[in-house]
Amino acid sequence: MLIYTVRRLLLLIPVLVGLSLLVFTISHLLPGDPVKLAAGPQATQAEIQSLARELGTDRPLPAQYWSYATGLVKGDWGQSVLTRRPVWDDLKIYLPATLELVIAAMVLAVAIGLPAGLVSAVYANRWPDYLSRTLSLAAISMPRFFLGLLLQLAFAMWLLWLPLGGRFPIIDEPPPFVTGFLTIDALVAGDLGAFATALKHLALPAAAMCLSPLATITRMMRASTLEVLQQDYVLTERALGLSQRLILFKYVFKNALSATLTVIGLYVGWLLGGTVLVETVFDWPGIGLYATKAIVTQDFMPVMGVTLAIGVVFILSNLVVDLAYGLLNPRVRYE
Amino acid sequence: MKRRTVLHAMGALAAVGALSGAGLAPAMAQARKVLVIASNQDVPNFDPHIATGYSASAFLRNVYDSLVRVEGNPVKVVPSLAESWTVSPDGMEYTFKLSPAAKFTDGSPVTSADVKYSFDRLIRLAKGNAWMVAGIIDTNSVIPVDATTVKVKLVKPFAAFLQVLPWLWVVNAKEVEANKGSDDGQTYLRSNVAGSGAFRIKRAEPGNLYEFEKVANPWKTGGGNLTGAIWRIIRETSNQRLAVQRGEAHFALDLTAEDMDALKDKPGVVSVVEPEFRTFSIKMNTEYGPLADINLRKAISYAFDYKSMEESAGYQQLMVGPLPHGILGHDPNLPVPRTDLAKAKEYLAKSKSPNGGIKLTMVHVSGLEQQRRFALVLLDSLKKINIDLDIKPMVWPDMVASTASPDKMADFFPVYQTANYGDPDNIAFAAYHSSRNGNWQNPVYKSAKVDDLIMQGRAETDETKRKAIYLEFQKQVVDDAPDIFGVLEKRKLAIRSDVSGFVFTPVASNAIEFFPLSLK
Amino acid sequence: MSAAVETGPRNALSSRWQNWRRGAYRFRQSTLSIVGLVIVALLIAVALVGPYVVPHPEHVAGGVSTAMRFRPPSAQFWFGTNELGQDVFSLVVAGSRISLLAGLAVVVIAAIFGTLIGAVAGYFGRWVDEALMRFTDLMLTLPSLILAMAIAAALGPGIGNMVFAIAMSWWPGFARLVRGEVMAKKEEVFVQAARALGAGAPRILMRHILPNVISPIIVKMSLDMGFAILTVASLGFVGIGVKPPTPEWGSLLSLARGYMPDYWWTAIFPGMAIFLAVFGFNLLGDGLRDVLDPKARR
Repeated sequence: MLIYTVRRLLLLIPVLVGLSLLVFTISHLLPGDPVKLAAGPQATQAEIQSLARELGTDRPLPAQYWSYATGLVKGDWGQSVLTRRPVWDDLKIYLPATLELVIAAMVLAVAIGLPAGLVSAVYANRWPDYLSRTLSLAAISMPRFFLGLLLQLAFAMWLLWLPLGGRFPIIDEPPPFVTGFLTIDALVAGDLGAFATALKHLALPAAAMCLSPLATITRMMRASTLEVLQQDYVLTERALGLSQRLILFKYVFKNALSATLTVIGLYVGWLLGGTVLVETVFDWPGIGLYATKAIVTQDFMPVMGVTLAIGVVFILSNLVVDLAYGLLNPRVRYE
Repeated sequence: MKRRTVLHAMGALAAVGALSGAGLAPAMAQARKVLVIASNQDVPNFDPHIATGYSASAFLRNVYDSLVRVEGNPVKVVPSLAESWTVSPDGMEYTFKLSPAAKFTDGSPVTSADVKYSFDRLIRLAKGNAWMVAGIIDTNSVIPVDATTVKVKLVKPFAAFLQVLPWLWVVNAKEVEANKGSDDGQTYLRSNVAGSGAFRIKRAEPGNLYEFEKVANPWKTGGGNLTGAIWRIIRETSNQRLAVQRGEAHFALDLTAEDMDALKDKPGVVSVVEPEFRTFSIKMNTEYGPLADINLRKAISYAFDYKSMEESAGYQQLMVGPLPHGILGHDPNLPVPRTDLAKAKEYLAKSKSPNGGIKLTMVHVSGLEQQRRFALVLLDSLKKINIDLDIKPMVWPDMVASTASPDKMADFFPVYQTANYGDPDNIAFAAYHSSRNGNWQNPVYKSAKVDDLIMQGRAETDETKRKAIYLEFQKQVVDDAPDIFGVLEKRKLAIRSDVSGFVFTPVASNAIEFFPLSLK
Repeated sequence: MSAAVETGPRNALSSRWQNWRRGAYRFRQSTLSIVGLVIVALLIAVALVGPYVVPHPEHVAGGVSTAMRFRPPSAQFWFGTNELGQDVFSLVVAGSRISLLAGLAVVVIAAIFGTLIGAVAGYFGRWVDEALMRFTDLMLTLPSLILAMAIAAALGPGIGNMVFAIAMSWWPGFARLVRGEVMAKKEEVFVQAARALGAGAPRILMRHILPNVISPIIVKMSLDMGFAILTVASLGFVGIGVKPPTPEWGSLLSLARGYMPDYWWTAIFPGMAIFLAVFGFNLLGDGLRDVLDPKARR
C-alpha cells in the first residue's frame, strides 16, 4: 500500500510536467498579444519592447517555458500583465473560495442522492422510483446557470430569504484567514454567527452546482442497491430472519461509500472547471470569475494558472479516491 | 425631470465631525461607519500618474490630494492642498500657496518640492491624465518658490487650467524616491499609496473589493463621520440595484434606466438622476473606407432613427451637435440632422453607392449593453437605406488598438466621453483636434479649420469671445458630419437614504468622494 | 458471382435487422425515450420551419420596436418583448436553429477529430498509441469549459469560432472510445484477411475497421448532443460567443439577467428552451444507447 502510494506520487511528476507543457503550448498558440494590451493604447514600439523584455516574452519559447516551469516549482506562477500581481497570490485567495463551493455542492449531492437512490431501489418500478429517476434525468439536463438564476429569483429576489450573491456581507469583517474556507475559518474563530452567515451565502450557489453529481449518485446508488437486493445471500439472510432494515444497512452502507467515491472522482475536476457559470451568476469571488476576467482581457498567465491548478486538484483528488477504494475494498489489488 | 438629490447642510456635518474628534473618540471607534459602494469597475492600478477610468479616479481622490478640488453644482474650484492662488493678468502664470497643515499619511508635510516632483513625473511618464496638460506645461514649468509656495508657468495659454488641476495628484516625493526602482516607482505605486488623503487602503482583493479606512488624524478638518469605505465590484447592474434596495450597499454607480424605474418609490433609497457632461456618439471612419465619402455620412446621419435611440434607454437627451447641453458656448438651437428618410436618400444618391447595397461594420465594447442597443438601432436604421451592418463586440483594449490607424478602424466606432472638467475645451480638444488622431476619443477626424478654432478657444480668456469661437466650432463640425451625434446620458445613481453629505457634482460624479459623507 | 458470396451479406443484413428490431422494441418500451424523441422531433421541426413562420422575422434580423419595450406575455406577444421591443417568442424560436446546428457541428467536428486520433493510436499501437493517448489523457484533465472559453475569446466572437473552440475541448472522449474499439477490431479475422491481401493501413482503417465501429460513435454523438448544446449556451451566457443580433439562447439569457426580477419573461423563456433541448437529447440519447449498443446496458 505504501509502496503503491509512493509509486503513484512519483508517476505524478511526468503528468504534471506534461500538463504544464500542454497549458503553456496552448496559450502560446492562441492569437492575441498580452504585452501590447498591457503596454496600453498609447505605448510606442520601444515601450512595448521594453515591457516584453521586462516580462521576458521576447525570449525564445523553450527558454520561456523553462523559466515558467522552474518558477512553478518555486511557487512563482508568473504574474498578470494587467494587474502585475503574482498569480500565486491571487490563487491563494480565489482557489479556497471555489473549493469551498465545490465541496459544499458535493456534500449536498451526497446527502440528498444517497437516500434518494435508496428509496428508488426499495420502491423499484413504483412511483417514488419513477419520480426520482425522472427528476435525476431532468437534473442532469438543467443548465446550472439557469437554475442559479431561478433560485436567485425565488429566494433572493421574491422571498428575500437568502443573500443575492457574494461569500460574506460586504460590510462585515470575515473571520481571520486560516484555511480560506469561510465556514471553517468561522468555526476556528468560534464565531457561530459568522458560520451561519457563510452558510447562507453558500446555500444557493451550492444548490445550483449540485445537480449533476446528485443525479449521478442517485442513479449509482439505485443500481447498486438493486443488485444487493437481488443477490442470493441477501435472500438467504432474509430467509434466516434478519430484519430487512439491518440487511439494507449492512450492504447498502458499503455501496454508498463506493458510489460517493466514484462520483467524487468523476466530478471534482468537472465541477472545478464548471463553477465559472455559477460564480458568474452569484458573483462568487472564486477562480472561475478570476479566469473569466483574465480570458476576456487575454491575460494569459492567470488563465494558465487556473487551468493548471484545476488540473492538479483533479489529478490529486483522483489519486485520493483510488487509494480510498483500496481501503474500502481490499479485493482491489495494487500492482 | 426628476431632481430628488438630497442635500444636507455641510455645517451640521462639520459639527458632528468635530464632536467625534473630541472626547467621544473611543466610543466612535467602536461604531464602524463603513460606506459600501457597488461598482462594476475594478481598479487596475493605484499609480496616480498612470491609472485612468472612473474607479481609479474614485480611488485616487480619496487617498491622494491635488492642489485644488471641484465641488457643487454648478461646479466650483475650491482649495485643497493649495489654500489660495493668484493668476497673472495674461493667464500664463499661477502661484499657489500650500496649506501649512497639509501632511502625507506618513506624517511629513506636503511641500512645493512634492508638487514639482509629482507634475514632473506625470509629464515624464506621459500616461494617465498627462494629456490634460500636454503641451501646456513641461518639466520647467513648476517652480518651487519656498516650502509652501509654488509657481506654475504655462507654455501656452490654457483657459481651463484650474479645472484640470483636481485630477493631477501629488505624491510623497521622498517615499517614491526611496522605492524608485528602475521604472520611476511604477512598480511600487502600482500597489502602494504615497499620498496625503483622508483615507488609506486597508484591504485589496482585485476583482472583488477594495477596503479603505480613515487615517487617524487627517490634515483636512470637517468632513463626515465615516470610519471606512468599501469599493465592491458587482458586475450585474440589477444586482447592484438589489444590493442598494436591500441595504447591502449605500451607492450603486452603474444603473440602467430599467433599474432606475424599478427603484421608484422603494423605501430607503434615493435616486439621483442628473444631467452630466457625458456624451455618447458614434464616430465614423472619415479617412478610410466608404464613410470617407461625406455624402454617405450625411445620408446615414439623416437615416439614423434618433427616436429609437432615445427610447432604447431612458434618462437621456438627444445631443444637439458635438458639445453637451449647458456647457459654455453650447447652442441648443444649432441645426443638426434628425431622422428624415427623404433627405437621407437624397444624399445617398449623391454618394458613391447611390442605391446602398454595401455592408459596413460597427464595433462595440462587448458586454456594454447600452452600446449593443445603439448598434441594433443603427442596424435597423441602415436597413431603410439598403445598407447592411455587421456588429462586432470587442474587448476595450482591442478597440483602442484598432484606432491606431485609419485602415484598422471599423466604419462605426461608438464612444462615451465623460468630461473631466466642465469646459468646452475638454470635449472639443479630446474628440475633434487632429493631434488626438490614433486615439480612441478621436481616431481619424481631422480638419485644419476645426483645429484652428479649438486652439483659439483654448487660448482665449474673454468669455464672450470664447462663446463665439465655440459656436463657429459647432457649426463647422456638424457640417463635416464626422459623428452620429448621439445622446447626453444622465447620471443615474441610487443612494441609501441614511447617507448624508452627498452633493451631486456634474464632473466625474461616480468617482465618489468619501470625506464629506456621513452615515446615520 | 457465386451464390455463396451473395448469401454472406444478406445473412449479416438480416441479423443486423433483427438487432434493430429488438432495439426498436426496447426503445418503444421506454416511455422516457419516446418523450425524448418527441421533444427532439419538435425541436428539429421548429428549427427547420420556425424562422420562416415566426410572427416577427424582422426582430430576428436585429430590427427594433422601441415603442413596445418590456411588454409582458400576452396574446400578441406570447413570450413578451425585451429591452428593444423585440418579440421574445420570435427570438427563442429562431435561436433553436442556431443552438441545434452549433451543437451538431461541435459533436461532428469532435467526432471526426477524435476518431482520427483514436483510430491511429489504436491501429498502430506501441509508441504512437502511447504518445497520442498520454496527450489525450492530459487534455482530459484540463477544465474543458475554461479551455473552450479561452480559445473562443482569443479567436473573437462568432458562431464558427465558438464551435471550433468547444470541439477542441471535446474530442478526447471520442479518441478514447474509438481507440478501444479499433484495438478490438484489428485482431478480428476479416481485418487479418485484408492485411494478408496486402491492403495498406489507411485502406484497412477506412474500409474495414471504421465502418464497424460507427455505431458506438453514433451513440456517443447522440449522448453528447445535449451537453454540446448546453456548452454552446454556457459560452453565450458568460458573454463569449456570438455577435449581435444572433439570437443565441445563452446570450439572450445573459442579457435578460439584468432585467430580473421585474421583466422575468425575458429570462425564463430562453432558459426553458435550453433546458428542454438538453433534456430531449439526453432522453433520446439514453434510448438510442439501448438500441444501438446493447452491451452498454446496465
